[in-house]
Amino acid sequence: MGDLVKVENLTVAFRSKRREGLFRSGPSLKALDDVSLAIGENETFGLTGETGSGKSTLAKVLVGLYRPTSGTVRVLGREIDYKRRKDITFLRQNVGIVFQDPVRSLNPSLTVKEVISEALIASKSIPKKDYDERINFITKLVGVTKDLLPRRPRELSGGQRQRISLARALVVPKRLLVLDEPTSALDVSIQAQVLNTLKKLKSELNMSYLFITHDINVIKYVSHRLGVLFYGRLVEIGDTRTVDTEPKHPYTQSLISHVLTLKKVGLQETVVSEHRPAPTGCRYRIVCPAAFERCAAVPNWVDLGGGHLVSCFLYDHPSQKENRAVLPTVAASGGGLQGLPREPS
Amino acid sequence: MDVDNPGETEARQTLVPAANAPRSNVGHPREARGDDIALEIKDLTIDFASVDGRVRILNGVSLTAKKGEVVGIVGESGSGKTTLGMAILGLLDSPPANIVSGSVTFEGRDLLRLKSSEMEKIHGTGINMVFQEPLDSLNPVYTVETQIGEALKVQRKRQDPPMTQETEEETKKQITDLLRNLCIDKPEEVLERYPHELSGGMRQRVAISISIVEKPRLMISDEPTTGLDAYVQSRILGMFSAQRKAGETLLYITHDLTIASQICDRIYIMYAGRVMEAGETRGVLQKPLHPYTSTLVASVPQGYEDAPPLSVQLGEPPDLRNLPGGCKFNPRCPHVKDVCKETEPKLEKISTERFAACWRVDKELGRFS
Repeated sequence: MGDLVKVENLTVAFRSKRREGLFRSGPSLKALDDVSLAIGENETFGLTGETGSGKSTLAKVLVGLYRPTSGTVRVLGREIDYKRRKDITFLRQNVGIVFQDPVRSLNPSLTVKEVISEALIASKSIPKKDYDERINFITKLVGVTKDLLPRRPRELSGGQRQRISLARALVVPKRLLVLDEPTSALDVSIQAQVLNTLKKLKSELNMSYLFITHDINVIKYVSHRLGVLFYGRLVEIGDTRTVDTEPKHPYTQSLISHVLTLKKVGLQETVVSEHRPAPTGCRYRIVCPAAFERCAAVPNWVDLGGGHLVSCFLYDHPSQKENRAVLPTVAASGGGLQGLPREPS
Repeated sequence: MDVDNPGETEARQTLVPAANAPRSNVGHPREARGDDIALEIKDLTIDFASVDGRVRILNGVSLTAKKGEVVGIVGESGSGKTTLGMAILGLLDSPPANIVSGSVTFEGRDLLRLKSSEMEKIHGTGINMVFQEPLDSLNPVYTVETQIGEALKVQRKRQDPPMTQETEEETKKQITDLLRNLCIDKPEEVLERYPHELSGGMRQRVAISISIVEKPRLMISDEPTTGLDAYVQSRILGMFSAQRKAGETLLYITHDLTIASQICDRIYIMYAGRVMEAGETRGVLQKPLHPYTSTLVASVPQGYEDAPPLSVQLGEPPDLRNLPGGCKFNPRCPHVKDVCKETEPKLEKISTERFAACWRVDKELGRFS
């Protein structure tokens, strides 16, 4: 798989709104901090993390809604200069996006057909006479029936609206589709239908997905590879099955142990403290049960083989590789963050 | 889906109780506390007046909750879950709502026939409700401290005999401790804040703590964790499990089967304002009788990217203004027969504590056929 999108050392910082006198004061907030990842052709890359971990910020950078503070974004080998209009156009021609809220992301005053054709008009990619053909093709593919075309978004159900968002994103063919929590606002049975459609579309339209959600069950089901974000930093990347069954980073281990499944009947009575990121070094070290002195520095990426990368000092023993096997994992010692001494506040 | 694999299901059934042995007491509070009924809803039917005429939101819903039990109400949007919760509390405005028939018995009194002044005394300490959107239930112009403090005051006043109100400092300390128990960092600072200054998860925890300090005999929570991430969800579910231990009855409304499987003793599956299936959570989810329950269970994503497509029939949720004849699920049902389109099945007892409304469920055999 060649790299379709390559993100290197991406940092996005937002300035603090707090003011003292005339000037902005307070530190800027790094929503994304030194994030690198690559998405291959025909691949679904899953990105997960808690609320506020920077998942949506990455999505918005990839469609040109936010500018990176530093770092580079390459799409099809071309480095995107976010100050050049041409590059942004190039970006948007190749990368589409579907947002979480199907109510707020569709213009309420336009009909379904107008919503979809707007994307065609803006792209100027095909002559006007071919619009109908293209719209018919895409709506059939995403499962929107013809009788919905003259209606307005408020007359439709959540699942239908999300399908229309999909049709709008794909009516001009894209190489990468960013899906930012596309099913969290939907009922389970509708979510299942949308997930089935997404899987089918991907093989038919030959594109890649960046699938963002906090729902681990969903992300496992759709993605080939998985990245875990914690307060703006990626902590682990790897094959979905590997990360799910053998999570290495203490945060991933804790996250996966908290996933509710139908198989785990009965409540797990774990005590979770509020996650506070450390300002320096490994962001997870304040709550990490395995933290030690070295964690005050930013951990390096450790390659565990098979494309499984983890950013944690527990595995960073270059001289004695065999030691990794006996290092204590959080899951083995009872899981979660149970019994951790809480920091005095 | 694991339900399709009987061998695995059985293996788990024998394994799980052993692994969870210390918790088995929590899972079956009825045995420990006796069979007293906290809430009994009988044949509740509610219409709403709309521009398209009368719409039946609930149709003959019956439900019981025993003391100390967690009862789940599960269904898609528009199945009438929230309306049911609001009806119990008497929060439906009439018009547009119109209670056609039925009764809601709580502690021996029919709530639907109480005067509003009597109902007011039940609200809060008798029954209260946590809503899905905490911004709607919190008052935007009061601080967290004022709002939790107010609930605490009401709770003390209604004790028999009324407790003397504590000083401001003692109240503050009590609220701080409560918030700290809910894993809220720096509770002293949170107390001073207004609802809009809190994150979604914090707001929801504040709303829940207002309910908790009132120590209600019955708590209704309407999708309290929807849209929140796994961590906040675990924290909130943990709080509910603590409430259950304190002997409180809980009605938990959700569309998420995975959550229901975690905390509910029994669940009611609702569709188009009707109860389709009811029974013990484990039984209902592992061996669903009604095809609708099977659909819901099959909708939960399982496995990895190479897993087969989720087996869900296409079709949108029912339009209450325009329901089909016969069984209301028949247009989406994979096992539909002629009789399903003609007559609506009644909710019938299949085995102890197990009910289903489906023509295809054999009462003698106690299974789908």
